[in-house]
Amino acid sequence: MAVSLRSVRNGALVALLLGIPVLLLRGTVKDPHEMGAFDRAIRRIGGPLEAAISYSFGMLGGFFERWVLQSRLQDANEELAGENRDLKQRMRDLAQLEEENAQLRRALQMRERVPEDMIPAERVGVDQSPFFRVVNIRIDRGKNVAEPGMAVLAPDGVVGRIDKSFDDYSDVMLITDARSKLAVEVARNHAQGILVGDSEDNCLVEVSKDYDVQVGDIVQTSGVDELFPKGHPVGQVVGIEQLVGDQQRLRVMPSVRFDRIDVVWVVLAAAPAADPAADHVQTLQQARGLVPIR
Amino acid sequence: MLRAFTHLIVGWLLIAVTGGIAEVLGLSIVLPATSAVVVAHAAFSGERELVPGLAVAVSLGYIEDLHQGAPTGVLSLSFALAFLLLHWAAGRIAVRGWTMRALVSLMAVVLVDAATLAILLALAEPLGIRTGALVPMLVGVRWHALATVLVAPPVWALLARIFDLFRLEPRPPSDLHLDAR
Repeated sequence: MAVSLRSVRNGALVALLLGIPVLLLRGTVKDPHEMGAFDRAIRRIGGPLEAAISYSFGMLGGFFERWVLQSRLQDANEELAGENRDLKQRMRDLAQLEEENAQLRRALQMRERVPEDMIPAERVGVDQSPFFRVVNIRIDRGKNVAEPGMAVLAPDGVVGRIDKSFDDYSDVMLITDARSKLAVEVARNHAQGILVGDSEDNCLVEVSKDYDVQVGDIVQTSGVDELFPKGHPVGQVVGIEQLVGDQQRLRVMPSVRFDRIDVVWVVLAAAPAADPAADHVQTLQQARGLVPIR
Repeated sequence: MLRAFTHLIVGWLLIAVTGGIAEVLGLSIVLPATSAVVVAHAAFSGERELVPGLAVAVSLGYIEDLHQGAPTGVLSLSFALAFLLLHWAAGRIAVRGWTMRALVSLMAVVLVDAATLAILLALAEPLGIRTGALVPMLVGVRWHALATVLVAPPVWALLARIFDLFRLEPRPPSDLHLDAR
């Protein structure tokens, strides 16, 4: 059976092309957070492109919505509808402003409440694969501010942590991602465990049966992993499964609605260590002349 | 070569457009795999050349890896394997009409997702993935597949239109006969 030169060349090229992803996978297995220069170049083009398209479609959607609303009101009554339209438009703008105000207020309150050094970031994109739960964020305070592993929080609770980062764009691996692991505790009794991602809106954590855990209990970060600051809400227990042995599995619904987050906070540095001398009462020398003379 | 380059550029733009629209509409589950449709088009249209099509699949998979925050190489390998199967099927199935285009795209996205799942299961330990969480995620695949089926005809039509515009489609044999006469 004769094998043509073309077949051999094609076979070699196919093997070469299949070797590329295998080599990429090999590199990923060695260091999952590493982004090469070529990776950065590709993301440098793709990130702004996606952000620009999001912005354009948002503008187009807003324009289309206003146009449809206006035409409906004109059909009903031209004069009254004009006034009505303006009022409704104003009410909608006010409601939008109110919502934005509330959101910013909550973000500011959180900033004041949390002692860690944080920086805000806006969401610019979402993943498309059912296997990975990742959102793309952009930090407009300069390049290379965020690093892999940094915790990402929202006013409602923990979002996830940065998986990959380049320039001012970062991929945030949500706590529902199958790769996510997070040290948590039940707020009421401090039963500790490792929270792992399970599905679109569920996480799992196993804790000892010694603790009485009930549906509705709040789960928060324990700070043991030194990645997330202690005491941030993670979610609520929605189901409990008794396992064979001394463990019970808790199903936790995240407190953050990942499809509704717009602004998140990236924790840049841990809170300063507590001052060991703070509780120590120092005896002050009495000043002369202030003590009554008996 | 120009066909492969066009597939790659259109595929990349579609990834960005899908991500952008999903962000505006607040969608997170029912998102189409436009790259799977592009790879299906590369496998079933034109001269059905193996090497340029495989290069498109590997490159688009790599871009998907970077855009979706997947471990680099996973989707690249998935798209490559899916393309090889689609190329094999292209020699046995004739794709005519919207229904067949949608079905072929469905086949592509199912192959890509199946390959992705298999690779993730195989590399779960070194990549730090909990295998128990991968199987429930298959529920999301059906919405992914449905969205892909719905966008497949317009994406296919867009690609056909671009290829016509730049005269990248090979001339059918009947035209050659007409010229000879």
